Amino acid sequence: MKNIRNFCIIAHIDHGKSTLADRLLERTGTISEREMQEQVLDDMDLERERGITIKSHAIRMDYNRPNGEVVTFNLIDTPGHVDFSYEVSRALKACEGALLVVDAAQGIEAQTISNLYQAIDQELEIIPVLNKIDLPGADPDGVGQQIVDLIGGTKEEILQVSGKTGEGVEDLLEAIVERIPSPKQEVDKPLKALIFDSIFNSYRGSICYVRVMEGVLKKGDGITFMATKKEYDAEEIGYLKLKKEKTDQLEAGEVGYVIGSVKSLQDAKVGDTITSTKNKADTPIPGYKEVKPMVFSGIFPTNSEDFEDLRGALEKLQLNDASLSYQPETSKALGFGFRAGFLGLLHMEIIQERLDREFDMDIITTVPNVRYEIDLEDGERIKVDNPSEMPEVGKIADVWEPYIKASILTPADYIGPIMTLCEERRGKYVNQHFMQNNRVEITYELPMAEVVFDFYDRLKSGTRGYASLDYEFLEYRKGDLVRLDILLNGDQVDALSSITHRDKAYYLGRKICGKLKELIPRQQFEVAVQAAIGSRVIARDTIRALKKDVTAKCYGGDISRKRKLIEKQKEGKKRMKQVGSVEIPQEAFLAVLSMDEED
Amino acid sequence: MSGIYIHIPFCKQACSYCDFYFLTRDKLRQPFVEALLSEINSYGDTKFSKEIVRTIYLGGGTPSLLNNKQLESIFGALHSVFDIDAEEITMELNPDDVTRDYLSMIQDLGVNRASMGVQSFDKKLLEFMHRAHNPEEAFSALEALQKTGFPTFTADLIYGNPGQSVETLEQDIDKLLSFDPPHISAYSLTVEPKTRLGKQVELGRIDPPDDDRVSEQFDVVRTQLAAAGIEQYEVSNFSKPGKEAVHNSNYWKHENYIGFGPSAHSFWWDESGANRWQNEANLKKYLNEAPEDYREEEETLSKNTLAEERLMLGLRTKWGVSEIDLKQSYGYSFTDSQWQWIEDQVEKGFMVTENSTLKMTSDGLKISDHLIVELLS
Repeated sequence: MKNIRNFCIIAHIDHGKSTLADRLLERTGTISEREMQEQVLDDMDLERERGITIKSHAIRMDYNRPNGEVVTFNLIDTPGHVDFSYEVSRALKACEGALLVVDAAQGIEAQTISNLYQAIDQELEIIPVLNKIDLPGADPDGVGQQIVDLIGGTKEEILQVSGKTGEGVEDLLEAIVERIPSPKQEVDKPLKALIFDSIFNSYRGSICYVRVMEGVLKKGDGITFMATKKEYDAEEIGYLKLKKEKTDQLEAGEVGYVIGSVKSLQDAKVGDTITSTKNKADTPIPGYKEVKPMVFSGIFPTNSEDFEDLRGALEKLQLNDASLSYQPETSKALGFGFRAGFLGLLHMEIIQERLDREFDMDIITTVPNVRYEIDLEDGERIKVDNPSEMPEVGKIADVWEPYIKASILTPADYIGPIMTLCEERRGKYVNQHFMQNNRVEITYELPMAEVVFDFYDRLKSGTRGYASLDYEFLEYRKGDLVRLDILLNGDQVDALSSITHRDKAYYLGRKICGKLKELIPRQQFEVAVQAAIGSRVIARDTIRALKKDVTAKCYGGDISRKRKLIEKQKEGKKRMKQVGSVEIPQEAFLAVLSMDEED
Repeated sequence: MSGIYIHIPFCKQACSYCDFYFLTRDKLRQPFVEALLSEINSYGDTKFSKEIVRTIYLGGGTPSLLNNKQLESIFGALHSVFDIDAEEITMELNPDDVTRDYLSMIQDLGVNRASMGVQSFDKKLLEFMHRAHNPEEAFSALEALQKTGFPTFTADLIYGNPGQSVETLEQDIDKLLSFDPPHISAYSLTVEPKTRLGKQVELGRIDPPDDDRVSEQFDVVRTQLAAAGIEQYEVSNFSKPGKEAVHNSNYWKHENYIGFGPSAHSFWWDESGANRWQNEANLKKYLNEAPEDYREEEETLSKNTLAEERLMLGLRTKWGVSEIDLKQSYGYSFTDSQWQWIEDQVEKGFMVTENSTLKMTSDGLKISDHLIVELLS
């Protein structure tokens, strides 16, 4: 029997998960202080900056107990955002235990609870840990009671540590050994290895991070991915230490990686089961699902010449991120681009930022929307994730929109603003549940479309950052939804169309028209700016014709300056987008597309 | 042939709208004149002094702050270095500096065109502009010009001022017309960021009139002057036939010119190429350093850039730009899509083409900045 403990850490952003993990690495001698780069696990720049984990990671440590025994730890780090809850569930599946890390000053947050319940559902042994006990604002007693309320047990079972000072880390290491069960090690069964993450390497292909659940994965064996039915050879297998460490086999209970010239992440999906081609398992590990994009948006290059570069960038991103989907889209206003699907808003933001940082792409993204289901008059049901695909008003019988169940954790002081926000967003109140420490869990059913549009920012700003949000998909419900079109001199600006609730269309239409009037420079002719539902105009503004645009003085000293200004204007014109005869500057698009409720 | 521009960087006080380079310290005038003389002398025996000088323009600042001796020494230096056969020597004057004696003194030095900075006859407007003169001084200065029989003159007006009505503008024009001016420069007020006016607008204390109202005033100026036989020949310049400003018009035709004094610009185009350069706008440097040290980097212009400049400048004038000139002097011809665009503008009434010359209509002139960018894009 091998002496192994597989565990993960459940924590909210900022509760010190990564710092605590760093301490574990240090105390087990996995990494010397010299090699210590702050927060080793989050290796993408973006992850470090935002303090969130986007990809799952795993690291193997050898812990020498005070009694001389050596135990292998596999710490599996999980993403910390609702967009990635599927990845979290797969990472939990690979573990027998979880450290529930809670900031002793801040208490439990919504995301933590949701992940905690998942862990309990999967029968993981939970070790509650109060972190940051060195902080002056720490309230181990109060927050400890919150934990007891949630998971039962006694306050005495809660460990108190400081990732920063290292206090309590020894006790934690011992608790991991003592409380978390060793994995079952059924090496005689046919191979079943769970892929809890996979990354793409341009030389090696997909690298799958796996937990062997049953059987043995041997180097050189033929392997089959049970969901995708693809067959490869296990060319290289190994452990995930700070660097990859090759080995000949991974047995049931162990965590490691496997490389097999898998050309695309599409073949090695998170949640899939790897089995042996020769001796196949009968059934895969349950829980695999195809991740479906929830949020959609158009991505267009600012400069239409950059279309091919954008395609290349998206292809590369998709190699690394199988949950990103996209297909070409053409907009009359913005030219050639892509319609992309994301797991959620954070995922979308991450993709946008990576396009900017890693590929230096200058892009315009259209307003994000969810996927609607539309019943047509002829009885057919279609799915629409792009406003431009919405059929004419006359052909639509019913529009269905996705609803989510949102759970918001907040100090009780902010119940008022949160309820106002949820009501504004067409939310349906479900209940509220008071907890220790003056905290409340409020549950609402909300149209997902209302949540993707700056809901989280509003929630944060309305509660001084204290409230946290978690949500899960509920169902599709009928809604009075319409497509709001924007027209310039009668020509529709397709990139500015949106699907919205009828009651909000008027307000939104007026606001967009006003914004465009402000930002579209006067043209040689008058321009009518209209918002319309179908053929019915619901808001209108007028941009008057350009009457005067001429420099008063143009003598010897003015010529260079004037010429340089013209050069600049010529450049600006290149970036203008044309709709019918009207020229729209980039900024007008950006301003309208980034407009939030407050504007 | 070439022209000479001299920048006199002194003023009694700062006009609220002005972003030209000037100082209000009078003690530096004489040292400036001496530095100016050495700058002029530095051009001795260069290729620039070989061409005949046909125009001289003293601008500022306020050239009329210089006295007889100072002006005499400047003209003396110019004559000793350059081959001058001037058809036009213009000097900018502020009404409060002008006496009949001063006018005959500058006429004796060869100045044959006076440019009077009237701007307005409205007391409140002059105060708002923070001008050094009042309406009475403007009247008496113009009277003095008439009485001394000055060969020719021009007067400046500014319109489109905050709060200015069409009526006060019409009154300003009428008053100016009573002096039978051969030439008028009428500028629509430009709010420059680094001026007192610019700051006030930025702070929201002053609201400049909107474009529609300025456009209306532009039409008032044009039609009222035209009725008096004073025709628009450039966006801001109007004259009786044959009284157009020669020096300024030459800027728009790419004639060579040398600028003296801090912030002055120069342009020279000969067989070795076309260049623009400028003196740094820094009197201290100008007084203490050699010309090569205060002269800023030279810009070399390609034929294509020159052609675009020519269009930018020529289309602001009543002469327009001829296709033949573009082809012969600049090797430039319009593309098919440019022609298509031009035809479209002709149809809309913003441009005309006559004898293969492209011009703006008066509607086009008002939005010529926009049209030129369109044409060149």
